[in-house]
Amino acid sequence: MKRVATLPARVLWNAFFWTYERASWQYDIMVLAILAFVWLTPPDWLRDPTASGMGPLGWLLDPLR
Amino acid sequence: MTVTGLIGRMCMFPLQAIISACVALRIHPNVLTFVGVVINVAAAWALGLGHFVTAGFIMVVANIFDFIDGKVAVELKAVSAFGAFWDSVIDRFSDIALFIGLIYLYSTLGRTDYVMVTALAMMFAIMTSYTRARAESLITKCKVGFMERPERIVLFMIGAFTNRMAAVMWVILVLSIFTVADRIILTYRELRETERKAVA
Repeated sequence: MKRVATLPARVLWNAFFWTYERASWQYDIMVLAILAFVWLTPPDWLRDPTASGMGPLGWLLDPLR
Repeated sequence: MTVTGLIGRMCMFPLQAIISACVALRIHPNVLTFVGVVINVAAAWALGLGHFVTAGFIMVVANIFDFIDGKVAVELKAVSAFGAFWDSVIDRFSDIALFIGLIYLYSTLGRTDYVMVTALAMMFAIMTSYTRARAESLITKCKVGFMERPERIVLFMIGAFTNRMAAVMWVILVLSIFTVADRIILTYRELRETERKAVA
């Protein structure tokens, strides 16, 4: 019997079993996701030993305050 | 054209000038590789002292050498099996040096949790290279998984310049585990297929 994977399952599997080339659109999305995690996660959540302040997010938000 | 493709092309302009200068000066690619690791040790030193921005700038310089050695070898027609081996071995030293710098920093800060995260990230970063090298002695190609050396280096730089090294360590750790798993899965599948064909 043929198994049909749902779209979210396929997306998750493809993100885990990575076969895409650099500079593909899938690569761009992965890079965006990583940058979002690195820059938008509050350092306190990760108990970052060295980070202080809001970092890149703060640089963006400061002029708006 | 994708965003990462565009960034890659933009970076190639200054790099091409450096490559041309090295070719004109006939600097041997193996020397460039060695200079790269020495500069990376300086970056590790700066990381160990918590001078992240300085470390970031030193990493940029070090990795220019790492990046151009192969291209200079091609242009000088100095491509050799030993050169490839030397480059691969020296790259591991560079990788390990940066992780050790961070491990030293976190241990001086008394943060055993991040000493462990960084040590595990280092282990899986090395296993990423090892699994590919070992797999390619058994199957033709084993180039799967996201977190390869260029991605690691760029992440180190991003972490250093924006002082978000903890988040970067988590990303390197998790994606390196996935990459090692991908390579084991691919090798298992390919070998099973080869055995199946041999039996049939």
